[in-house]
Amino acid sequence: MRIVLPLLALLAAAAAAPAHALDGAKLLAQVDRNLEPESYEMYRKLINIEPDGAKKEFVLYSVKKGRDKVVALFLSPASDKGRATLRDGDNMWLYIPNVGRPVRITSLQSVTGGVFNNADILRIDYTAEYDVQSAEEQPDAYLLGLKAKTGEVAYDRLKMWVDKKLVTPTKIEAFAASGLFVKTLYFKDVKDFGGGIHRPATVETDSPLYKGYRSVMLFSQIKRRVLPDEVFTLSYLPKVEDLRK
Amino acid sequence: MSAGVRRAGAGLLAGIALAAHAQEFKFDASEFDRQPFELGGYVEAKGEAFKVRQDSVFGRLTAPALTAREHLERATGTLELVGKMRQDALTFDWRARGAASADAIATETATRVFEADFAYRVSDGVSLNAGKRVVRWGKGYAWNPVGFVERPKDPNDPQLSREGFVMATGDFVKTGVGPFAALGLTGVVLPTSEDVNSSFGQGPHVNPAVKLYGLVADTDIDLMWLGKGSRPGRIGFDFSRNLAGNLEVHGEWARISDFQQRVVDATGVISTRRFDATSWLLGLRYLTEREVTWIVEYYRNGTGYSDGELESFLRFADTALATAPPGTFSPLVDRAASLALTGYAAPNPGRDYLYVRASAKEPGDILYLTPAVTAIVNLQDGSYSLTPEVVYTGFTNWELRGRIVFLHGARYTEFGERPNDRRVELYARLYF
Repeated sequence: MRIVLPLLALLAAAAAAPAHALDGAKLLAQVDRNLEPESYEMYRKLINIEPDGAKKEFVLYSVKKGRDKVVALFLSPASDKGRATLRDGDNMWLYIPNVGRPVRITSLQSVTGGVFNNADILRIDYTAEYDVQSAEEQPDAYLLGLKAKTGEVAYDRLKMWVDKKLVTPTKIEAFAASGLFVKTLYFKDVKDFGGGIHRPATVETDSPLYKGYRSVMLFSQIKRRVLPDEVFTLSYLPKVEDLRK
Repeated sequence: MSAGVRRAGAGLLAGIALAAHAQEFKFDASEFDRQPFELGGYVEAKGEAFKVRQDSVFGRLTAPALTAREHLERATGTLELVGKMRQDALTFDWRARGAASADAIATETATRVFEADFAYRVSDGVSLNAGKRVVRWGKGYAWNPVGFVERPKDPNDPQLSREGFVMATGDFVKTGVGPFAALGLTGVVLPTSEDVNSSFGQGPHVNPAVKLYGLVADTDIDLMWLGKGSRPGRIGFDFSRNLAGNLEVHGEWARISDFQQRVVDATGVISTRRFDATSWLLGLRYLTEREVTWIVEYYRNGTGYSDGELESFLRFADTALATAPPGTFSPLVDRAASLALTGYAAPNPGRDYLYVRASAKEPGDILYLTPAVTAIVNLQDGSYSLTPEVVYTGFTNWELRGRIVFLHGARYTEFGERPNDRRVELYARLYF
């Protein structure tokens, strides 16, 4: 009897709990690694599309190291070529060749115009910026509720729908601290980039703040690459182009 | 139309839409492979219209032909070329500008090499440079009192590219040093002689300078030093920090030893004073919820003139000009013109300034449109310039800017005695 009672209690507890308790933090960490290696280089094209169909395109080369160091260099168009942005945690700088020195910028500003802002362009790991507040399993996706760790983060709250099989986002809704719905990001066109990287190659975004406008980010040549920390410093910003092979 | 035909039509449309989608979002990064040689730049067409202040002291002193007119229109064409060559760890960067302008008074052409610099990357943390280059120090947007080895900025157009000096520099950076996330050291040697860097100051001098940079507790901090040579020796520091996701604060402080300045009184008596000058700047950049960026800076110009000193000079120059027949120069006018060149007529020669700029990002959902208003106020004499402007960058590689510069002030004040009441400026710039 002394053995049977604890066993019954354990069985009752197991019956009361969900079949698979969802570990949101672990899931978010997996999302981060499935989107990109922790340290990488990659190319992106940003396309801003206006309601009349007019488009403006930007091409960027990016490198990232660890959870929160990332650099992006503009390769095109000619008017923006050579601009480089650096993010180290909450710190962001912009280097414009004509200005000749890096200046601090904020995560909410946009160096390209359009719906993407600096935080989208210089995105670091979600786990570096957000805590998981809720995690639920839906029929065709996991839904994570994320809350920014500090007030410095561009979007205070995120609702992230995660593909169950790939464990990459399919859709993210972003909200400001005031509760204002800021934008939606749609992750599309899953592609094999090689090196075990299998993820959406297109991210589209629209915003109620920019009715009729949308922006698209296309990914190419995502590769694992570990660079020295010195690359992620202000003095290296004018030399980021040297990293390209 | 039968249901079958409608379905086939719908299928065809869907197919076209899918094909269009695939076409629209094509991206092949190999098109952007790095090239050993690069050439770019821009070509610009600019038109300016000046409303002339015919009685202005600065105008009559420095541009007498201008003050003979009520209006002046000027057209300027500019070509700026930027090139880069790479060979392993060695790169050669250059920037050159040619401009031709024409107005009713004169036609002028000018070509200058702004930069021509060899860089050798010893490692990711060490690089060496030699040649003509622009080294910009400081965190201020409109002014940089710690810009020890560069030409002064035009506060009315701070992002304008500027000519460098011939120098040799070495950069060293290391990360994770004690409390410093990054620590950097820049050494500069800026030689001067009759032929080299004569606009920096008289030679021969080596003009060594050093900047120590640190990122500590999410704050950028720089310490600077320029040795005595062509210019008086000086030390300084600056800082910059984001207090919130939408608020940045910055500051600069510089101390110039044994600064020498010529001062004139209203009767024309010139005296020279020597003193240790302290200049500093405090500023912020703030982004509102409506995406208006405010830049506000207070600048204490330790080498500037007080409102009384500036007024004395302007009264003296006005009297000197009144005694000389129009278009001729007298010794007194020569003296006033010489003083103007050595400081009084420089941009922002006063002692206390406020700079305020508000720029709105894409108001009314008009992408790439940035309207802005900039005010520069001489706090001692109350004169100011006010510049509303609009910039549009919606056409790929084009930048279109229009602005009007209004200058306002009482007699014998800085902006009240500038040669123009207002200036309208329009330019179209095409990058390639």
